[in-house]
Amino acid sequence: MENTPPTGSVIDLIHSDRVTLATRKALLDHLNQPTVTEPKFFNLEQFKRFQQVCNQLIPQSTEANIDLAGPIDERLANGTTNGWRYNDLPNDGDAYRLFLTGIDQTAEALFDQSFDSITAEQRDAVLLAVQQGEATGPAWQQLPADRFFEELLAEVTEVYYSHPLAQQQIGYTGMADQSV
Amino acid sequence: MKTHTTEHILDAVVIGTGAGGAPLLARLAMAGLKVVALEAGKFWKATADFATDERAQDFLFWNDERLSAGNDPIAFGRNNSGTGVGGSTLHYTAYTPRLQPDDLRLRTDFGVGEDWPLDYHRDIEPYYDELEQFLGVSGPGQYLWGPPRKTSYRYGPLPVNGAGKLMEKGCRELGIKTSPAANAALSAPQFQEGYGWRSACTNRGFCQAGCNNGAKASMDVTFIPLAIQHGAEVRAECFVTGFERDSQGRITAVLYTQNGQEQRQRCHNVFLCAGAIETPRLLLLNDLANSSEQVGRNLMAHTALQIWGEFEEAIYPWRGIPGAVISEDTHRPKDRNGGGSAIRPPDFVGGYLLQSIGVMPVTYASQLARGRGLWGTALHEAMSRYNHVAGINILGDCLPYEHNFLELSDEKDGRGLPKPRVHFSMGENEERLTSHANQVMRDIWGAAGAQNIWAFPRNAHVIGTARMGTNRETAVVDPNGRCFDIPNLYISDNSTFPSALSVNPALTIMALSLRTADKFLKSERVKE
Repeated sequence: MENTPPTGSVIDLIHSDRVTLATRKALLDHLNQPTVTEPKFFNLEQFKRFQQVCNQLIPQSTEANIDLAGPIDERLANGTTNGWRYNDLPNDGDAYRLFLTGIDQTAEALFDQSFDSITAEQRDAVLLAVQQGEATGPAWQQLPADRFFEELLAEVTEVYYSHPLAQQQIGYTGMADQSV
Repeated sequence: MKTHTTEHILDAVVIGTGAGGAPLLARLAMAGLKVVALEAGKFWKATADFATDERAQDFLFWNDERLSAGNDPIAFGRNNSGTGVGGSTLHYTAYTPRLQPDDLRLRTDFGVGEDWPLDYHRDIEPYYDELEQFLGVSGPGQYLWGPPRKTSYRYGPLPVNGAGKLMEKGCRELGIKTSPAANAALSAPQFQEGYGWRSACTNRGFCQAGCNNGAKASMDVTFIPLAIQHGAEVRAECFVTGFERDSQGRITAVLYTQNGQEQRQRCHNVFLCAGAIETPRLLLLNDLANSSEQVGRNLMAHTALQIWGEFEEAIYPWRGIPGAVISEDTHRPKDRNGGGSAIRPPDFVGGYLLQSIGVMPVTYASQLARGRGLWGTALHEAMSRYNHVAGINILGDCLPYEHNFLELSDEKDGRGLPKPRVHFSMGENEERLTSHANQVMRDIWGAAGAQNIWAFPRNAHVIGTARMGTNRETAVVDPNGRCFDIPNLYISDNSTFPSALSVNPALTIMALSLRTADKFLKSERVKE
């Protein structure tokens, strides 16, 4: 299967006359979005843990390094939603905070350590337990683990694949929307 | 655009500008009535405002939070919702099959569900004929299913994309008939009154996130400009919260919020066209039109299972009209259980259509996350094959059940109003229909050469929450869309459908909208 475009092609495309003004602006907004270092919704400890979660869900090479936790922190700070949520989940903000508490409790239960100090393989094991609804810890009494994991994974995935560099990786060129 | 003051007593206020509101708005304006449409969302200029970027287009969706309950919770936001002048037609796929006459006779034919109090040839077909010409529907020269057509589609079909060609190939192997589908997107430029020239489709494949050149017949480039040309006013960013009524219970004014200010528009008649969630929600909030206690009940959603597969050759699934090819051989599969057919006899009521589907990258990635739970390197690997992916799905019937309904929750949204809670669980019939379709589609995709086939369960299009009928004890509106309880309140959207139908609803919503306008105008003339 032959779908790896030459490096830089999407960036070149964005600046070409094959892309409409509205599309160029949207894609440059994603490209130029500064990486969030001072979260507005999470506290710093929560935010760093969430960044670790994002690294496990969508591992990235250092050159791509698309900020996944930042846009989600921003959405939660703004209080906007994607239009619906599962009835058995608490509101998005409470759910994310419970999740970050919960994975720490699960890490303690499985490895006698905080989520923040376990290895990448151990983090995967914690997240897999959450995805399968088998995570242990009091937080999961208030948050259906498997349901929330689906929401979390969908949001992180959508942020990632909205980025032009991620779209380049999969050979997507549909942003070329101007007839020339 | 002509404007009116709020003190002016209008002939009609139309709430919502989607497929239910826009056609009747134009019809009433063309009859010389003084009409204003109130739309919660913004008035976009698609050619300048719409980007080919899924995330940037989030503004097309109704993003006030809804609570989804039941065993098969319905996704909203980018599914099953819309906002902005044009409503959800701004992001509909433009798939415009006609219903078939037996869709209106589910109870007669199967003993369950509901019949419609309408006749296909008298009440619906003439409007299909009119709409397909007006919207500029592109479709095949001869349509293979349903009764003979009086008119051809206005334009030839749009080019068949990668997924469409694969569906043709797989179905050919299995002896299932296919046809290029009818899509309300232009295969040739068309002049539209009040708008100007709409371009032909450029096969950009972004229908579900907004068309940027007017090729797709969303309401903002068709009925809305026509309505404005004939004197209608469209007031955007107006959120309706309630009504004033006189001692007989007739509505005398519509209450709404605009720029944070409470407004009150006086009027003689109201057409509520806010869709199958916001329409019943507004009625329940105001305890209106509900002597039947059917408001919010009979909630249905089309069975809409998707099957995805990966192919050796590159497909580029974002290219072309998303729903390029159709088969209605499964409309009533009992008719096709003879020799050689790959479709087994049904063990369910009703039927479904088959449709090839394209997909935008973020939507596909999100479905991999939700449907297959892929993350880490597994997600990267699956997405590295995005350009080789093609899909096929169904759009099928759904029966009404006691357990499926909309209610107001105790939780408040950003406007301070109760969030709607939508209960939905598939019944045995939907499970059986979906299982039948799952096998048919896997067979088709297997015959087409797909690998790594997987299913994404889905229910689409909310229907039925303010049912139409002839009995005021069991229905909210009469066959003309008029509320039994409030004689100057009409409902025109998918909430009035008595049954779900085995086709996409948009064209039928528009047909009923024009019919309601015509019936209303006729009754007004009788009064004079």
